[in-house]
Amino acid sequence: MSEKIKRLLSELQDYYLLSIQGLLGIFRKPFYSKDAIDQMDYAGAGSFVIVMIVSLFIGMALSLQLSAELGVLGLKMYTGKVVGISIIREVGPVTAALVYCGRVGAGMASELGSMVIGHQVDSLRVFGVDPIKKLVTPRLLSSIIMLPALTIIGNAIALLGGYYIAVFVSHQSGYVYWSSIRDILNFENVFSGSIKPFMFGFLIASISCYMGLTTKGGAKGLRKSTTNAVVFSIIMIIISDFMLTKILLYLLGFSL
Amino acid sequence: MIAFDDVYFSYGDHHILKGVNFQIQESERVAILGGSGGGKTTILKLIVGLLKPDSGRILIDNDDITIKSEDELMEVRKKFSIVFQDGALFDSLNVKENVAFCLREYTKMSEQEIDEEVDELLRIVGVEHAKYYMPDELSGGMHRRVAIARSLAVTKPRMFLYDEATTGLDPVNAENICNLINELSKNGTGHIIVTHRVIDALRVADRFIFLKDGGIALDGDSSVLIRSNISDIVVFINELKYNLS
Repeated sequence: MSEKIKRLLSELQDYYLLSIQGLLGIFRKPFYSKDAIDQMDYAGAGSFVIVMIVSLFIGMALSLQLSAELGVLGLKMYTGKVVGISIIREVGPVTAALVYCGRVGAGMASELGSMVIGHQVDSLRVFGVDPIKKLVTPRLLSSIIMLPALTIIGNAIALLGGYYIAVFVSHQSGYVYWSSIRDILNFENVFSGSIKPFMFGFLIASISCYMGLTTKGGAKGLRKSTTNAVVFSIIMIIISDFMLTKILLYLLGFSL
Repeated sequence: MIAFDDVYFSYGDHHILKGVNFQIQESERVAILGGSGGGKTTILKLIVGLLKPDSGRILIDNDDITIKSEDELMEVRKKFSIVFQDGALFDSLNVKENVAFCLREYTKMSEQEIDEEVDELLRIVGVEHAKYYMPDELSGGMHRRVAIARSLAVTKPRMFLYDEATTGLDPVNAENICNLINELSKNGTGHIIVTHRVIDALRVADRFIFLKDGGIALDGDSSVLIRSNISDIVVFINELKYNLS
């Protein structure tokens, strides 16, 4: 038992060191800007369509559910407001993060894992290149930039999906829907929804890179590290979402 | 140049090296032989500091590298040029970019100079036609050749380290790689090759170290190797005789 706890603590320490070194690498030479741009292209542009599709249907489903429920209470006109707050503060950032984790996080872990197995990471070390700077920092940077961007676009698409359902299925006024959305686009809501993707991007990239770089064994080890990257990232997204929500509500003066 | 002093190494509960001692001078041509999982590759990784031993000292130029930090090890690694098993080419880069990797990393050469240097290195290893191929488009032999070209671009190494450079290759390609290894050592630069193919070891080495049960079962020249009556070595030699017959 004590061995297991010791190993867990040691792994947590290694993860912490890798994350910090990876993050500090953004500010230290040499800058691997081409690698960072390649990663942004893969992570951002490559995830664009998937995030759009998922966000559109999440927005439509949310609007459908709320229209039905609020209709019973005679409060259909609040559909836009509730859909807007849900998406901007909570559903949008988490949905984008989960999609990003499934596509990009898994890709990072498997790519780095296969580099470890194929001795490519050893080659980098022999050539005097710091693998954390070369491999982890560009991935962290790209995730910290691209996930917030994807979240903002995803939120807009989800709100459009909500609009379509509210107006064309639930027969509500489009003007009322958009004016409700405009009302909730205040600093508090936008800030609390925008801060989360930065944290989620950091968590997904750091966990996935750590899992990839600690891959042991062959195909089985690669499967394990890829699965662990996705599972631990999802768990950490949900936990950190709760904690951030609690902190932000407190900081922004919302009373519970 | 290289000295192992009572080196122990294990992966978890699996003890790989148990008190290994040897010295290798930089102009020597050494083959490390042994069965799979016997610690051959581990020795190469220990030499360049990619692994740290459980105990014992590893001296490079009388300098103990087991107590050095990762940054200090960078200087040690510059003394060697290592070709990993299967080449370990960066699979997201084409042949030219793989070979140019260290040139871009460490020199301020212009694009034209890099291009010329890459052409020269690819010509030396005989794969100049594959300059724009991706690693997955290369055959096994070409893979190793490109890996050797990339290792040549590092710096002027004092010693070459080859990990299973001929494993998995057909006899013609294996012989070509051996010839290339000998060619690169003509100017007196030594090498250590890790292999389980005795025929290739005899082609490229003058000294043979045979690993068995975590220790050195034999250390000598080709006559010592061939005349050995250690059971595992006899099996290796018998395979060679069978191939020759």
